Amino acid sequence: MAFSPISRRTLLRGAGAAIGLPWLEAMAASKSPIRMAAMYIPNGVHEKLWTPEGEKRDFQLSPTLSSLEDLKSELIIPTNLWNANSVGGDGHYVKISGWLTSTTITKTLGVDVSANGISMDQLAVQKAGKVTPIGSLELGVSPVTTGVDRNVGYTRVYGSHIAWSSPTTPLARELSPRAVFERLFRAVNGGEDSTKDAKLLLDRVLEDARDLRGKLGAADKQRLDEYLSVIRSLEDRIARASSPERSKWKALGAIDPAAKPEEEPKTFADHVRMMFDMIALAFQTDTTRVATFLFGNEVTNQNFAFLDGVKGAHHNISHHENKEDNLRQYALINKWQIEQYGYLLRKLRGMQEGDSNVLANSMILFGGGIRDGNKHDPHNLPLVLAGRAGGRLATGQHLVYEKDSALSNLYVAMLKAFGIPVEKFADSTGPLAGVLA
Amino acid sequence: MKILFLLFAAPLLAADYSIADAQKFLKTYCHSCHQGAKPSGGFNVAKLNTMQTLLDDPRRWGRMLTRVREHQMPPLKMTQPALDAREAFSNFVDHNMKTAACADGIAPRQPLLRRLNRNEYSATIRDLLNVPIAAGHALPADGAGGEGFDNAAETLFLSPIHAEKYLDAASEALHYGVKDPRSRTKFLIADPSATVTHEQAAQKVLDAFLPRAFRRPLRTGELDRYMTLYRTAYTRHKSYEPAILQTLQGVLLSPNFLFKLEDANAELKPRLVEDFALASRLSYFLWGSMPDQTLFDLAAKGKLNDPEALREQTIRMLKDPKAQEFAEYFVEQWLGTRELGRDIKPDPKLFPSYADEEVASGMRYEPILFFHELIKEDLPLDNLIDSKFTFVSNKLMKHYEFTVPERIRQQPVKVTLPEGTHRGGLLGMAAILAVSSYPNRTSPVLRGKWILESLLGTPPPPPPPGVPPLEADAAANPKSMRERLELHRSNVVCATCHNRIDPLGFGLENYDVVGKWRDGADALGELPDGTKFNGPDGLKTLLMQRKDDFMRNLGAKMLGYALGRGLTLEDYCAVDRIVANAKTENYKAHRFILEVVRSVPFRYQPGTQLNVSVE
Repeated sequence: MAFSPISRRTLLRGAGAAIGLPWLEAMAASKSPIRMAAMYIPNGVHEKLWTPEGEKRDFQLSPTLSSLEDLKSELIIPTNLWNANSVGGDGHYVKISGWLTSTTITKTLGVDVSANGISMDQLAVQKAGKVTPIGSLELGVSPVTTGVDRNVGYTRVYGSHIAWSSPTTPLARELSPRAVFERLFRAVNGGEDSTKDAKLLLDRVLEDARDLRGKLGAADKQRLDEYLSVIRSLEDRIARASSPERSKWKALGAIDPAAKPEEEPKTFADHVRMMFDMIALAFQTDTTRVATFLFGNEVTNQNFAFLDGVKGAHHNISHHENKEDNLRQYALINKWQIEQYGYLLRKLRGMQEGDSNVLANSMILFGGGIRDGNKHDPHNLPLVLAGRAGGRLATGQHLVYEKDSALSNLYVAMLKAFGIPVEKFADSTGPLAGVLA
Repeated sequence: MKILFLLFAAPLLAADYSIADAQKFLKTYCHSCHQGAKPSGGFNVAKLNTMQTLLDDPRRWGRMLTRVREHQMPPLKMTQPALDAREAFSNFVDHNMKTAACADGIAPRQPLLRRLNRNEYSATIRDLLNVPIAAGHALPADGAGGEGFDNAAETLFLSPIHAEKYLDAASEALHYGVKDPRSRTKFLIADPSATVTHEQAAQKVLDAFLPRAFRRPLRTGELDRYMTLYRTAYTRHKSYEPAILQTLQGVLLSPNFLFKLEDANAELKPRLVEDFALASRLSYFLWGSMPDQTLFDLAAKGKLNDPEALREQTIRMLKDPKAQEFAEYFVEQWLGTRELGRDIKPDPKLFPSYADEEVASGMRYEPILFFHELIKEDLPLDNLIDSKFTFVSNKLMKHYEFTVPERIRQQPVKVTLPEGTHRGGLLGMAAILAVSSYPNRTSPVLRGKWILESLLGTPPPPPPPGVPPLEADAAANPKSMRERLELHRSNVVCATCHNRIDPLGFGLENYDVVGKWRDGADALGELPDGTKFNGPDGLKTLLMQRKDDFMRNLGAKMLGYALGRGLTLEDYCAVDRIVANAKTENYKAHRFILEVVRSVPFRYQPGTQLNVSVE
């Protein structure tokens, strides 16, 4: 054989100088898929306890990040990034809806909802093509906030979404860990019979829709097309599940039906962990390679009294007014969020994959669109990226950039590491320096 | 009059305000940037100089109005108009734009194509199959747009997850239904027998099921196409029941079922929507579900558009138990109480009564049951402001600390309130007091904002950017909430709005987070001019005096809900008519809702020519 696939780790083990090699060709045949996830925290962080001391490879984790000590070599912590397009607008909605799009949102109570761009996770899904049975997972623990915020003139839809498959399509989130499990289980073990049945129906639906289409105006056609496209994506998944020859995809692991999560998570904290378990399971089995997760909707007043020392509502605490007692509680909430993130990272690290592990083949971004919640500050966003993306990321660093550097540059680097040759994303100027190995 | 004007930022219009005053306002606050050869942002206000421009250029005026009303303009670094000057100007522009927009009647709009939302999906499946299950439980929750409701066309998006859930939900409901005799006889109305072939049975089932599922008569060829699907399914399953169930599953995935479709009007001019579309507009408004047989029958006879039939049907529908669905979806979203138990949860450690399931659910249902009673019994809608009755379960009554002669159990029931309970009307309801509080403490600011936004439809603008935090000027370290807020208001930037917000909220300080009465609370509301009122009773008296403003907001919310979209300037003219007509019958519920049903935007659809008005 003229060429044998070689994993990044082997490469590194073989030659210390290999770091400068053009990795793309060598990696192209690597068996391990690269996964990507983004986890969003609403309401900002205690800004003084976030940033690590020191720079590059010589740094100490901050108090908020300290629980990630054992994962330090897997982290990239970028300082001074922001989304310039999230300035103005309002304090919250533009910060979250524009987090992964690096754009601003259209101010509206609903008529013309638009993020004015697609989110980087969905760009990855669309560019990577349909490799896995599930394109991406959008998960959360609380339903979309109801109502419109007349106070600032935005629909609250904006406060509840980070994934946009088109500028005008925010993706709905799954909230039930059991439902996610069942989807994953079916994707891995899908029976042939039921899929043929479904195919028959979907053909019928498509025909009905085509009939209707001629009778509709332009705006309504677009709505109907949205439905057609979701039906087609389901049909495609089903078709591939029922004919293995049409799909090169193979599950990287089995799913134990006994591992089905309970119907209703008992607590908020349980709920978050169960969702992380599902992301880990999806990544381990390669059912999907892209996931997003919301710890909560922006402006959430989630009661964090389940944490020792916290006795109030999240949004209210985030408007700490520099009061010691509020700041202390704010920091405890951030620490808890980071601990959950650490739980997922360790879980992925524990999943063996060849001579590596799933975390090493992933990029898990944690962060938010607001730094200090009291000021709705969009500068120097709290961000951590974990995992080496199969050796493509130079982890183990605290990277300090010039004030107000573009967050979209980080996304360009991540998309490149994901295997997508993007040169530009939103207002980017190039891949963020120092991130790619 | 002055007091009330300052209290409520309602669209009150000073009679003597003229275009000359508006010009003076523009000159003083806008001209330094927005005129001349290169006006800032390309926006030249010098063009807005006569009454005629209000009629000719409503877009430009509208943009400017939003900026001024929401305190976005003039920018903070420039001289700011006083609040009453800002409002007098805004009200003048708003009033005249409306007058211009509706001068020749109201032009209806075609509702955007929209799918059934999650609740409508569940209710429709329930009524179609007669199954007592919430088939849509696994669908993602819908966000809200327009007037704040999750039936708004603009925010009913579709994600890939929907397709999977629809597939599963339909299968689940059909398989549940086929095993339940009460349900089976409703949709599986034929079985093959010695004299009936399986195809004949299937045809009979589909012939009855399809028009109900699509909520209109069948079109040529439609039945045949579903018969084709049935035959393919039969070839696969070689048995009647699985084949017909699969076919029905296909019906429930069709856009004809999942979307609210109305035939377009091919004429030039607007017309009354045709009867089947009207039946659906009515049923999704008042039941959140599909039309029943009575409505279908009237539509088939072409009688639903008859004014008397429309009146009868509306009232029949309001008396039908399914109207509770309307009460629930409308009230919970209008008042924000849907978030109770979701994003907003009173801390059960601090407020142990909330930890009790009966109290928590009694709280949630009180406003719903109360509103349902008003629309069922045709009571005046000002009961929402103050009333002599409410709905409580045994434990919620204990929570409220009153007793009645009759025996109250776990199920909430209507009770006449004894004297001195401080209950009656929305403002005494625990759910409302909880959603306008933090989990651990009350907030006069949140409650004041809630009253302005939910009851009066005049939300305060957001705080301007860069407001110093409360403590920056707090040298004295004040102790009480009132002292802190007073300090906040000593900053003139904050004061303009908080002078309006906070006093309203203080009026409710006698209620704790979960609405329990607390004596001795600081519940004195003081208006900017020094007028004082005390506690919720004083506040309710004030609101009763301004009933019309409350009703205008209620009318706007209800029309927005009925139409499933945000309101336009012209729709607000329809609201004014609804309210004016309803006032002639003391705002009794039936007349009020009938006026919504009779309004131009609800009953008409536009023709091919744009912006043609009715009347």
